[in-house]
Amino acid sequence: MATRAMTPPARAQAVDRSVARLFEAFDHVPVAAVIRHAEDLPRALASQVPAIFFVRAPAFHLGPLVWAVQARGKMAFVHIDLIAGLGKDRAGIAFLAREIGVNGIITSHSGLVAAARAERVIAVQRLLLYDDLGLRSAMAAVEHARPDIVEVQPAVIFPLVAEQIRALHPVPIIVGGFVTEPHQRQAALERGARAVSTSTVSLWP
Amino acid sequence: MLPAIRDSNTLHQALDLGYRQLLVERGSLLAMVGPLAAAARQGVAIFVNLDAVEGLAADSAALAFVATDLGFSGVLSVKPHLLRDASRFRLLTIQRIHALDSTGLETGLNSVGRPAPYAIAIAPGVAIPEVMPTIRESTNVPVWGTGFITTSEQAAAVLAAGADVVASAELKLWREFRDARIDD
Repeated sequence: MATRAMTPPARAQAVDRSVARLFEAFDHVPVAAVIRHAEDLPRALASQVPAIFFVRAPAFHLGPLVWAVQARGKMAFVHIDLIAGLGKDRAGIAFLAREIGVNGIITSHSGLVAAARAERVIAVQRLLLYDDLGLRSAMAAVEHARPDIVEVQPAVIFPLVAEQIRALHPVPIIVGGFVTEPHQRQAALERGARAVSTSTVSLWP
Repeated sequence: MLPAIRDSNTLHQALDLGYRQLLVERGSLLAMVGPLAAAARQGVAIFVNLDAVEGLAADSAALAFVATDLGFSGVLSVKPHLLRDASRFRLLTIQRIHALDSTGLETGLNSVGRPAPYAIAIAPGVAIPEVMPTIRESTNVPVWGTGFITTSEQAAAVLAAGADVVASAELKLWREFRDARIDD
């Protein structure tokens, strides 16, 4: 791990979990860096992205990574569905919120969105749109779970569903999944996404 | 073009257009079991998405029913163990892979088991132009595209990117492809 271990900041109460401040930052730099490989983290830390998404990281080694992100004034989000070693349940959410002190949690499960909101972390609900008929049920789940942010995946679907989503439920939308070229990032922003998430290092400003 | 049907209405529409291959993509399989079995007896190749149809369990009994009683040709699923089971019933196996982001695609491609499936089905199909290079790095099996393909432009882009089969639930698209075939 390239990042040196740091001591945790003064934990939960000090962690910035303001959705408004996140979107203010996204208005300047509308990109979240997705970390798929630990060796990309230093590049993300040095970039101007206001938020860093950890996917597939090992849960019990996350602390130093999250604190390094926060020490740079960025927000750290963890995708709980893919994380190794951690229960996908309230206790798992509580561990991320209280022990690690993440700014936000990403999940596609409505039940975990509710748990994240109860822990007062920023809740990002992923809409996994692999077929057209799933959209309505996914949006019903969103309406029920009331996440702070919806992330639509994959990005290529967003233009096809942007109007429908907005008509069903007003919630800030970010877009991710196979955003590898500047024009794809631009297309998502032009259709109303507040930010894109991408693991493509060259797209991190 | 593989018509994706979800009830006996759409089944008959696809058969009336002369299609001899069908994908049961959704809906209750049990509610259309009669017409499906009849079509299979007449030599129509029927594939079923086991992850999405209602009325079937994801187990051997369901596979035996689909293979032996209904005479279907193949099954689609994200679950490699189910496909392994299906190959014992001489069903063609199509591994579904969700292409939602690069992390998930990688996981899906890694789950492609042995023996190699007959094909892989990428969902949503419209992502195929963006993900085909990654797919081809890991497997050479035929690629099907399913999901969010509703216009002929999308279907053409998916096929041009190297997909072998494009599935759609859009009647208009079934007609267009049928007419194009007649023009050939």
